[in-house]
Amino acid sequence: MHIRTYMITAVALLLMAPAAAIANSLIAANAPVRIANSTLSVTPSQDWNKLSARPGRSAETWTLDGDALNNLTYYAGIQSDRPLFREVDRRNRPLPRFSATMLLADIPTLLENSYRAGRSVAVYAIEQVEPVQFAGQSGVHFRYSFTAGDEVRRRGEAYGAIVSGCLYLVTYEAPAIHYFDASIEAFRQVIASAAIGSGRR
Amino acid sequence: MNGRLSVTAVSLLLAVAAPAQTENLAVPPYQGVYEPQGVDERGLWMEADETERSARDSGLLIRDQTLNDYVRSVLCRTVGDDRCRNVRIYILRIPSFNATMFPNGMMTVWSGLLLRCRTEAELASVLGHEFAHFERRHTVNRFRRTRTATDILAWSALIGAVTAQPSNTDLLVIGGLFRFNRDQEREADVLGLAYLTRSTYRPQGASEIWVRMMGEVDASALGRAQRSRRYDRAPFFATHPTELERATYLRSLAGPDIAGRADNAEAYAAAMRPWTRIFLEDQVRLNDFGGTEFVLAQSAGNRWTADLLFARGELYRMRGNPRDLVNAADFYRQSITQDDGRPEAFRGLGLALMRARSTEEGKAALRRYLELKPDAPDAPMIRALVDQAF
Repeated sequence: MHIRTYMITAVALLLMAPAAAIANSLIAANAPVRIANSTLSVTPSQDWNKLSARPGRSAETWTLDGDALNNLTYYAGIQSDRPLFREVDRRNRPLPRFSATMLLADIPTLLENSYRAGRSVAVYAIEQVEPVQFAGQSGVHFRYSFTAGDEVRRRGEAYGAIVSGCLYLVTYEAPAIHYFDASIEAFRQVIASAAIGSGRR
Repeated sequence: MNGRLSVTAVSLLLAVAAPAQTENLAVPPYQGVYEPQGVDERGLWMEADETERSARDSGLLIRDQTLNDYVRSVLCRTVGDDRCRNVRIYILRIPSFNATMFPNGMMTVWSGLLLRCRTEAELASVLGHEFAHFERRHTVNRFRRTRTATDILAWSALIGAVTAQPSNTDLLVIGGLFRFNRDQEREADVLGLAYLTRSTYRPQGASEIWVRMMGEVDASALGRAQRSRRYDRAPFFATHPTELERATYLRSLAGPDIAGRADNAEAYAAAMRPWTRIFLEDQVRLNDFGGTEFVLAQSAGNRWTADLLFARGELYRMRGNPRDLVNAADFYRQSITQDDGRPEAFRGLGLALMRARSTEEGKAALRRYLELKPDAPDAPMIRALVDQAF
């Protein structure tokens, strides 16, 4: 009898779980937001949606119209020897790891190889890599384009910096047709507002 | 351990496969143009036509006419012009060892396969195997078999629920289905070998591919500190026979009297040359150190070309352990000794050295990169590295 009660409770909990899992949240304009419990914070000047599904423990994704149409992902404070995002198949498709000894010029390749190994992206091109000031740090800014499994060609732009041996990388990706240009300015505004605190997490 | 296991298994399998030597390697008379029969087959063809439309427009499709003509010519020489006429080949830029055949005559060849073949005869054996699936109309048979199996499973679940009697029918049916797939693969292997025997190619290539695949799987697992697979028996859910089994029966079936035939390794290398760099780059970026190292060594044989050395440098630099950076710099230098016209080799050398804290030497290599390719996409970043004070 007891077992049945437990079972019913367990099933009820399982049924409730997805409702919580798909609850995305609003990021309100003009208020500073701390990203993924890290020392990175930004102040967006317009509303964004934060997806509750996170690509990894130190990552989160924001969007305006849905993550297939515009995807702003923060990788905030990736430590040495950790992958950028969660590994789907660690045995057969392990992801490359970030290393604190990497040069800024190695960061674009880290993102590219993570996509190739973990998301089966076969066509990926890095189009421009340049130095930049990001969140008050010397960082790297790069543009790229790729085609994923849905056969949509997307363009991407990213800003990254290595601070106290941890990687802070923010990417913006959207279909090359219309969407990339439509919200690139909103992304750049978020980047311009970024700050990395000095204290450890 | 694995080596010993494989050797024992090979000898066991050789014993099992020996009677097959008498198996008929004749190519059946070709039936000519075929139209799908019945609702199942017409449905499958319709779906395949839809897949073909997406393949035609895919961003992964390699449209290089010369490469496409070459791969087609290999297929035609293998199966004969009459059979070849019914096939459309789509070369896709996917860095895995694979080719697929659809019931409507659409064949996909993946770039990872082209990178791993070393001779025209090896490519011919894979294309012949895929064509055999088409000629034997395996897709529709597999579809019917799957449907029957799922029907039985549904009925057995219903009967099980009514009678409350445990039954092991399900396992038998599911096991039978996967065994059926493996039998189809064996049949395609044998017919593929029959095409090869009839053609002018050396049929031994067919088994050599599978021996190398085992080597790659082992190397991949070793590089990831994992245990490799067993090759002496097929797992319950395997859709293909093990590489070992295939290598063994293909070797025993290939007539020893025609082992001296041409395998056109030079022609193959020449046809792949315009694409080698791209295929290598795609492979190196997969984060599979052991497997890639194996593929590179196999491609090199006893001659490491500048392209292979460069790819090896990239592979080591990307793994990035201190010892890897030293090795990477060495591979780039060897690559540059053979061909000093490739700017990316200086880039890799410079980045490897800078990361290994040989700053001045690294900067010199990066300056050379900028001289050779001043408008490279990453020139601003590299320039900043060179100007940086340490």
